[in-house]
Amino acid sequence: MSLRDLNAKIEAGFLKFIKNSKILNGNELYIEINQDNIPELGVYLNIDLGCSLVSLFATDEREFNHYRLYYSFAERQSGSLIILTSVVDQNSSTFMSISTTVHAAARYEQEIHDLFGLIPIGHPNLKRLVLHGNWPEDNFPLRKDFPLSHKPQTVDCISEFTKIKGEGVFEIPVGPVHAGIIEPGHFRFSVAGEPIFNLEAQLYFVHKGIEKLCEGNNPEKCYYISERISGDETIANSLAYCQAIEKIAGINIPEKAEYIRVLFAELERMTSHFGDLAGICIDVAYGFAGSQFNMLRAWSYGMATQLCGMRFLRSVNRLGGVRKDFISGKEKSLLEQLNKIQKELEDTVDIIINSSMFNDRIENTGILDTKIAFDLNAVGPAARASGIANDMRKQFPYAAYPKLKFKVPVYTDGDVNSRMKVKIKEVFESINLMRQVIENMPAGKDFERLGPLHPHKEAFGITESPRGENVHWVMTDNNGNIFRYKIRTPSFCNWPALCYAVAGNIVPDFPLINKSFNLSYAGNDL
Amino acid sequence: MRNSEKIEVTMFKMLKKIIKYPRLTQDYPNKPLKSGMFIGKPEIDQTKCTLCEECISRCPSEAIIMDSSDHTIDINYGSCIFCTLCEEVCPEGAIAMTDKIELAEKEIRSSDQSNELIESQLQAKIKKVLGRSLAIREVDSGSCNGCDYEINALNNSINDIERLGIHFVASPRHADMLLVTGCAVRNMESALIKTYEAVPDPKLVVAVGACACSGGIFKDSYATSNGIGTVIPVDVCIPGCPPQPQAILYGILKAIDRIR
Repeated sequence: MSLRDLNAKIEAGFLKFIKNSKILNGNELYIEINQDNIPELGVYLNIDLGCSLVSLFATDEREFNHYRLYYSFAERQSGSLIILTSVVDQNSSTFMSISTTVHAAARYEQEIHDLFGLIPIGHPNLKRLVLHGNWPEDNFPLRKDFPLSHKPQTVDCISEFTKIKGEGVFEIPVGPVHAGIIEPGHFRFSVAGEPIFNLEAQLYFVHKGIEKLCEGNNPEKCYYISERISGDETIANSLAYCQAIEKIAGINIPEKAEYIRVLFAELERMTSHFGDLAGICIDVAYGFAGSQFNMLRAWSYGMATQLCGMRFLRSVNRLGGVRKDFISGKEKSLLEQLNKIQKELEDTVDIIINSSMFNDRIENTGILDTKIAFDLNAVGPAARASGIANDMRKQFPYAAYPKLKFKVPVYTDGDVNSRMKVKIKEVFESINLMRQVIENMPAGKDFERLGPLHPHKEAFGITESPRGENVHWVMTDNNGNIFRYKIRTPSFCNWPALCYAVAGNIVPDFPLINKSFNLSYAGNDL
Repeated sequence: MRNSEKIEVTMFKMLKKIIKYPRLTQDYPNKPLKSGMFIGKPEIDQTKCTLCEECISRCPSEAIIMDSSDHTIDINYGSCIFCTLCEEVCPEGAIAMTDKIELAEKEIRSSDQSNELIESQLQAKIKKVLGRSLAIREVDSGSCNGCDYEINALNNSINDIERLGIHFVASPRHADMLLVTGCAVRNMESALIKTYEAVPDPKLVVAVGACACSGGIFKDSYATSNGIGTVIPVDVCIPGCPPQPQAILYGILKAIDRIR
């Protein structure tokens, strides 16, 4: 179904609701409706048409006496976005919660409640999410009248957690500073003996106010912030941001830059997956396999260093293309390294799949149910291991992906084993993609220059990061600077999915399940 | 194939790999890094600089500053995110990225004479107590996770930090040194202070990366501070965004005076 057919279908059923609709950037259908009609149309899109809620955010438009909400649904067959927008009165500051029917909306609504002070009526759990107990009430950082560097006085308030009552039930608190070298987060396990009844994750310990930092800044500075949203997803995040800005500027980037972007995106995916695979092996004390994957990861970093001198692929992209031709003259050496990595990976996989002790630990561990994965809009390898074949590289094609051949591996068991297998297959696909890029590299310019941005334009940038779909939205202000930059990384979607997957497993398997998801705290907390 | 045979074949394949890759560890710092490997700090050629201030206005982390006393432009490496933009935009070609990554510097905490004496005595005592072995506790106080991945890389077979008698421990109570990444964000502030207080004296604090040194690109937001130095005392700062594992190792060794 094309976007126009979709629009006609929605108009046929809900014409009386629609105040205004427009199609922007080719595949973004914005429909303005009244706040009261959001639940009905939201349920129609999510449940009847099967469009998943991929982002929900607010903007402060009080210069026009209102806030505005954007509910973005993805129609994956045609690769289009349907965005319901509605204004929220600045005096009442309330809106209708849809999270009891569209479950994925719950955390977005909590986030809007914390950062804008808008109250979702009927939300089942309005616990603070982004701002912790140290933050005083009635201070809402994403409102335009809140100064960027204002640091409100610290107050004391202890966070409450879900209590599970019963004989022999006790709680295990873990974090925020963990025993290993990982990012901070607090986990509250309710257990009876070894099995976990409930896991509640308190996140946002590394909340830096990235969205606020970008507001009012020029697009160039925000590019460097977007690279640093989540350290190991530099390309995925910066690419999503670049795409949004390039759409606003209305330019097409050179074909060569598209190919180079794919090469770096796949190199990032390969490096990240090797890290996850090593982590899974180390967490079940399979030292040999862990060392093998760590060696492969080191080789991937070697390729990155050779290409751009940066292990984390910083300053590779730029607005309008890529900074320079990183590939030319290195093709032969890159292909040799890819062959070496592929051979070593094949050998390693052959050893680990025949290890029955290893398989005992990873099979049937941490199962993510397909229904829950769909309801929460779980993304990336975690969703693909639970039978949901979503991949933004296919559904919302970008850069040079439409011109390249690759498969999207899907498994259905939803356990650690399936997630591991998805990642292994994806690495082979990444190697294949990188080979195609090197062999078919077109000639031409590295980047297109961007003029000043038009005021009051908006666009989405969507990429598939190693962890899953990555949805960014940018709107420009009067001067062509950033008015609002909404970042939704895959980790935001998958954290609640992880909490479901852990329930019913034993405490010692938590690190293993956690590693198989490999979520970014920084990408979630912003 | 019977199960026992399968295990034997797998074991044989593992042994083959172990023999094929006996040792991957690089002998840094005894053997210096290959030149030109990494993008390191930018340097300004003052003879070419015309003070046009283009780099100052474009630098995303406000690391380039005009020194008003002698009218020169300087780079504050603690703030620099090594993004290469200054090299790109300088109309005179006066700024060039180098491959220097060994940038860790000791913090000078106080200019007061008597404090300096106490400081040097304390340093001598720390060295005596810690000897040639060092236990480190890592704390992420709000990084993008890049620095944490690089610290993790110190434990892999390429860097293998334990060959130098240095190891990471699970509890701050077992640690001699805190290795802190991130810009001491509001929600981590009390956890960072508690972790610092849990480390027994004498102790060292090393700030890893631009965020920990100065707040980096995230400075001056409602939720961040301008470096961990605003929350706990810092001994050594390691610039970089993120610093390479060898740059972090260099900083750790510098903190315990094993590198001058």
